[in-house]
Amino acid sequence: MARKYGNIRFFVQFLAFLVILVNPFLNYYWHFNFVQGWYQSLGIGKLWFVSPLEGLESILVSKTIYLPLLIGMLIPVLVAYYLGRVFCGWICPINFLCELEDRLLRLLGLKKRRDLFRLPKRTLWFTLIGDITLAMILGAPLFVFLSPPGLVGREIMMAVFFHTLALEGVIVIGVLVLNLFTRRFFCRYFCPLGGLLAFLGQKRRFRVVRLREECKECGLCEKACPLGLSPERGENESAYCWNCGECIDSCRFEALSFRWVQEAGGEKR
Amino acid sequence: MSQRSGSAANQSRRTFVKVLAGALLFFIPGKTQARSLLASPVKVNHLRPPGAVPEELFPAKCIRCGRCAEVCPYRSIKILDIKYGVFAGTPLIDVEEVPCYLCMKCVRVCPTGTLRRISQEETRMGLAVINRRQCITWRGVALCRTCYNVCPFKEKAIHLDQLRPVVDERYCTGCGLCTHGCPVTPKAINIEPVYSFAEKNG
Repeated sequence: MARKYGNIRFFVQFLAFLVILVNPFLNYYWHFNFVQGWYQSLGIGKLWFVSPLEGLESILVSKTIYLPLLIGMLIPVLVAYYLGRVFCGWICPINFLCELEDRLLRLLGLKKRRDLFRLPKRTLWFTLIGDITLAMILGAPLFVFLSPPGLVGREIMMAVFFHTLALEGVIVIGVLVLNLFTRRFFCRYFCPLGGLLAFLGQKRRFRVVRLREECKECGLCEKACPLGLSPERGENESAYCWNCGECIDSCRFEALSFRWVQEAGGEKR
Repeated sequence: MSQRSGSAANQSRRTFVKVLAGALLFFIPGKTQARSLLASPVKVNHLRPPGAVPEELFPAKCIRCGRCAEVCPYRSIKILDIKYGVFAGTPLIDVEEVPCYLCMKCVRVCPTGTLRRISQEETRMGLAVINRRQCITWRGVALCRTCYNVCPFKEKAIHLDQLRPVVDERYCTGCGLCTHGCPVTPKAINIEPVYSFAEKNG
């Protein structure tokens, strides 16, 4: 079975990574300012995107509201509401680096990997609540300066602009090392941004749907899922799924597919 | 299903490990100097970009997207790293190295309102203060007026009083061009961030 979504997704991830990789060079050497920033806040001309969790923390901690910030958060929030955690699966640079790592290991022949450490999936919610509470207690938005998805962009920018790397980049390396033991260990349990996007995408319209008649319950999809979810147990409908389509690619019986579900929460059978 | 019952039995221990791991994760920067973690990096000649909100609000409001540093055509804006604690990722201008030329590009791209949209004249990054014991003109050693020459608001922010430079705080934006231009070491004109800490001075 062709890795249909896998290849498309890898290409999209690559393009998304290219944006934050090339953009500092454009800004630094050619003063081409049309695009600025990375996935904490990305400005394309007059169109601004702001990462929802960063924006939320900024509003909560500083207790001020700034309209352009809310407008910038609008598109990511709507995308998360209708499409779920697609940012994580299709755009996030950390996931791209993990994906690269996975592909490299596959090339080296280290294909079979078990997820060594597993925590309850609910950890994600604790992370989200814990991050926001801690940020409010400390009065400093924690995820904003320690967020791995943002750090990748900041490190590239620091390297280009100041020819140095910031120390907090070790977090990125830590995330990649953890990925060796359990696939997407950080993304599964400790990414507050992923938690927020999962929370927003609970009633997403775009989801992986399993046809019960076709399913032979072979368990291939669970092995393929980078988040360790099992579509056979209906976990593709849960909030945690990030719509990457790995399970669809792995299924030999075409029992799984992306569907646009009409009413929220309703399954099409 | 067997896996689920297994995880339920270890629930409390796992919750504890989880909390511990989370706490450790957040306190890793605590290993650097405890003092500097919450101390503002803003000091003499080290200033926030134009339009910055007061310093007690700054680290809370800024989302560290770095867009101000990317658009800055003069490379005035530097991004701090984790050694500055909660100020990691925030922008800072060292006017002795590269001053601010008040192009106001950073102000226009800030997505959070941390840098407020203001005009050149309204900018108050700090206030230039002349050290009359250092300044060679004030000491009567030479007739230097570099600070007056480079000031973007010449005759308003810095004017000459009997050929000696005088700063007018009604017009000084704190851009640091004078500090950058000052030929004396240590600098005879410095930018004091008097507006960043409104509480203390106000």
